[in-house]
Amino acid sequence: MARNVAETARKFLLLGQCVPTVKQNATKIRVKRLELDENLLMYFRKDEFYYCHDPVKKCKTGDIVLIQALPHKMTKLITHEIKEVVYPFGDITDPVTGKKVAKSQYREDMEKQAEIYGKLDSGFDYDKAPQRGWQDGKKDFTSKPTYTKFHVFDEEDPYAV
Amino acid sequence: MLRRLIPSIVQIRGVKQLVDTKWVRPEYVPAYKPERSGDLEGLPVIPPSALPEEYALSEEIKNASEAVKQIFSIEHRGKKEYNKLVKKELINRIRRHQYDENTAETRIARITGHIRCLQDTLEKFPRNVQAKKTAQELIDKRKKLLKFLRQYDYKKFEWLLEKLNIVYKAHPESLHKLSRKESLRKLTEMHCEEIRQGKLTEYRNLLESQQGPFLKDKIDALKLIRSEQIELQLPITVTEQDIKKVEQQFEEWKIKDDLKQQARKKKKNLLLE
Repeated sequence: MARNVAETARKFLLLGQCVPTVKQNATKIRVKRLELDENLLMYFRKDEFYYCHDPVKKCKTGDIVLIQALPHKMTKLITHEIKEVVYPFGDITDPVTGKKVAKSQYREDMEKQAEIYGKLDSGFDYDKAPQRGWQDGKKDFTSKPTYTKFHVFDEEDPYAV
Repeated sequence: MLRRLIPSIVQIRGVKQLVDTKWVRPEYVPAYKPERSGDLEGLPVIPPSALPEEYALSEEIKNASEAVKQIFSIEHRGKKEYNKLVKKELINRIRRHQYDENTAETRIARITGHIRCLQDTLEKFPRNVQAKKTAQELIDKRKKLLKFLRQYDYKKFEWLLEKLNIVYKAHPESLHKLSRKESLRKLTEMHCEEIRQGKLTEYRNLLESQQGPFLKDKIDALKLIRSEQIELQLPITVTEQDIKKVEQQFEEWKIKDDLKQQARKKKKNLLLE
């Protein structure tokens, strides 16, 4: 009985967010949970981290993903695999209308507003914009964790703050 | 007397010296400096004869004499007017429409212009505390705005970094004062990892070098077994495919080995030079 429960529990999908890692063929996923403190009868946030096998780097930092346990542990660290990227980070679609959103506005509405005021070429064009990741490692250093600079190396690491 | 003698006889503090790495404390860089704030670009080039915003549209100044124009130019109007033009230049790079003043990207551009002007003044007057404070506050504010923009519109965020020439680094997990102990620990860890990797690659090379001769023997043995089995009319357990497979493996190993030896030769030549 207990074995069955454990097996079914393993098949559960977990929803988590991708966080920066230095691992090359794996991604680190943070799963947020609430834990009951029995003395205070209050729930407190508890984070769990899972390393997921992801050789093609399907998900990038910040993405909300579904993960599932592998039938066998791959390494000591990698225990899960990525099922699906549910919400890509910073590229939100409204689930009701299916339109693209930026903060509290539809992108369409923003375009319309700009056209009424007299659109300029200097503005940002969503159609021409390349996919996310073209600035990664050039001007956008968010794919790996940053740390306090602790030594003067010959080659300077851009992730040292 | 004894207390003084003990450390000289029994080495207590020598443990740290086992690792042959010298720690160099990184030099302090003020937060307003471009390398810390992430500005890859200085002030834009604005000629001293340029007119401030208010006068540029005036009809009368177009027909005025050279002397009048010079008096009204930013060269004589002071740094304040110049700074306004800097901000305008940066905002014009990313403007959606003519009246676009309060969207996230224009705010970031305006703050960037302000920061770069302050950095310029701080280069000349590093003791200007008020400017230093303002610069710090603005840098933090810009980082916060960039963080939010990244959350809700990643494509625009990347485009903005490119247009304004800013570098964005995420916040470190913990912001704490650097200590000698922590740095030495990290360096030691790195040193140990290096040794471990070196030993592993050495062992790997050793095993791979033994693969070739083994495969050669294996081919010979398989062929012998097959021929014997045919001769003695026993049930044949070794097929032609098996032998072919091993031969293929052997050829693959040969190619790999050649590449490795070439790399080794190159290294040697480089060392000799």
